[in-house]
Amino acid sequence: MLTAVKNQWRVLFLSLKYNVMREMTNHVTFITNITFMILNNATFVVQWLILFQIKSDVGGYSLNDVLVLWGIAASTFGLSHIMFHRAYDLPELIVNGKLDAFLVQPKNVLLGVISSGTSTSAIGDLLYGYLILFIFKFNIINFILFTFLTITGMLILTAFAVIVGSLSFWITKGDLISNNLNGVIVHFSTYPDGIFKGIVRLILYTVIPVGMINYLPLKVILHFDPVQLLLITAFTIFITLLAFLIFYKGLRRYSSSNLMSARI
Amino acid sequence: MKKYLFIFKATFMESLQYVMNIILGFITFFIVLYVFLNLWDYIYSDSASLISGYSKNQMIWYVILTEIMWFGTRNRTLTNQIANDIKSGAIAYGINKPYNYIFYMIARNLGEVAIKFVLFLGAGIIIGYTFVGGLPGFRFVNLPFIVIPFLIGMLINSFLQMSISVLSFWIEDSTPFQWIYDKMIIVLGILFPIEMFPGWAQPIMKLTPIFVVTYAPAKLVIDFNIHMFLNVLLIQGIYAAVSFVILMGLYQKGVKRLNVNGG
Repeated sequence: MLTAVKNQWRVLFLSLKYNVMREMTNHVTFITNITFMILNNATFVVQWLILFQIKSDVGGYSLNDVLVLWGIAASTFGLSHIMFHRAYDLPELIVNGKLDAFLVQPKNVLLGVISSGTSTSAIGDLLYGYLILFIFKFNIINFILFTFLTITGMLILTAFAVIVGSLSFWITKGDLISNNLNGVIVHFSTYPDGIFKGIVRLILYTVIPVGMINYLPLKVILHFDPVQLLLITAFTIFITLLAFLIFYKGLRRYSSSNLMSARI
Repeated sequence: MKKYLFIFKATFMESLQYVMNIILGFITFFIVLYVFLNLWDYIYSDSASLISGYSKNQMIWYVILTEIMWFGTRNRTLTNQIANDIKSGAIAYGINKPYNYIFYMIARNLGEVAIKFVLFLGAGIIIGYTFVGGLPGFRFVNLPFIVIPFLIGMLINSFLQMSISVLSFWIEDSTPFQWIYDKMIIVLGILFPIEMFPGWAQPIMKLTPIFVVTYAPAKLVIDFNIHMFLNVLLIQGIYAAVSFVILMGLYQKGVKRLNVNGG
C-alpha cells in the first residue's frame, strides 16, 4: 500500500516535471507568460485603491487584507493549474472520448488525467500570491500557514473542477456548465465575503466552496484559529474523496469513441 | 463588399445554432453583476447619495452597460483564432482565398457576436430592472444616438484586439499582451467611470481606448447630451481610422515575414 502511494507520488511529480520542461522549450514565451500574468493580476490593485479611497473598509476588511485575499486566490488557482491543469479540461476529454489512453495505464486514472498538462501562466499566479504575502503580511508563521492553505485551497479547487467536470459523464452540455461553475469560483474569490448576505453567503461556504478556498483561509492568516484550520482540512479531505467517488462512478458510464491518438 | 456581407450572414446563421450555449454563459454574466451589485450596495450603504457625481442606481447601470459590451462582444476568433492561424501556419489557407483575411475576420466576428450582443443586452436590461429599477433620466428618443457609439466602440475594440493577435507574426504567443489589454479595459473602463479616478489621471484616460470603447457609450446612456455625443463621435472616428491603419499596417508587414513549411 505504502509503496503504491509512493510510486503514485513519483509519477505525479515526474509528470509535473516533464510538463513544465515541455512548456520551457521556448524560454522567451515561458518567461513572458509568467511575467505578464503577474502584471495582469497586479492591475487589480488599482480597483481596490479606488474603492478604498471611497470607503475605509470593504466587507469589514482593510486594503491590505483584501490584497492578501487576492494573493490566496491567485496562489490556489495557480498551484491547481500548475499541477492539475487538465482537471479543467475534463469535460472535453470525456465528451471526445480522450480518456482511453489513461485507462490502460497501471496507475490511478484520475490523477493520470488531471496531471497530464500544466499552465505556464499559472506559475505567474502562484508567484503573485507569494509576492503579495511578502509585501503585506510576511512572517514565518504566515508563510507556513499561507503555504498550507494554498495546498488545501488547490485541492478543493481541483476537486470542485473534477466534480463539475464529471457532469459530462451524465449530461451533454456538461462542459458549458462546468466552465461556468469554475468561473463562478474565480469571480467570487477576489471579493470579501462581508459584502454578501444571507443564503448566498451560506452557498459560498458549501455548494460553491469559495469560503473554504479563500475566505476562511484569510481569516486564519489574519487571526489564527485552530478550529477554522481543522475545518478547512476536514473539508479538503471530504471534497477530495467526493471528487474521486464521483469521477469513478461516472467513469463506469464512459464509452470510447474509437479515437486514435498518441500522447507524446 | 458583397462577399463580406455573405460571410457575415453565413456566420450569423451558424451562430444561431449555438444560442443555448450563449444562454448558459449568462451564469457567469449574472454572477459578475451580482458581485458588483453587492459591492456597490456595501460602498453606498453609509456614504453620501452621490459618489463622483453618480448615484447608486447610475453606478450599477454603468457597470451593467459596460459588462454587456464586454460579455456581448468578446470573441475568441479575434484573439485566439487569428494568433493560432499565424502560429500554426493555417493562415496560409486564408490569405490565398479571393478575400482579404482581415476583412474576412472582421465580417466573421460581427456575424458571431451580433446575436450574442443582443442576448446579453436583453439579459443585462432584465437584471438591471430587477435589481435596481429603471435608469432615471433615460429617454428612448435618444436611443438611435446611443446605438452608433456602441457599434463604433465595438469595432474599435475588435481592431485593437486583432492588432495584438497579428503580433504573433513576430512573437510566438501574443496572449499575454491580450491579457494586459483586457485588464486595462476591465479595471479602468468597466468597473468604474473615469470620474472615479484621480483628477490628474482623467485627461490621460480620456485619450486611451477606454474612453471610446466602454466609458463614452455607457456615459451617453446614463447622462445623454448632444454635445458629448458629437464629441464622442469625432474621437471615435479618429480612433477607428488610426486603429484600422495600425491593424492593416501590422498585417501587411507581418504577412511578408510569413514562412510556412509543409502542410
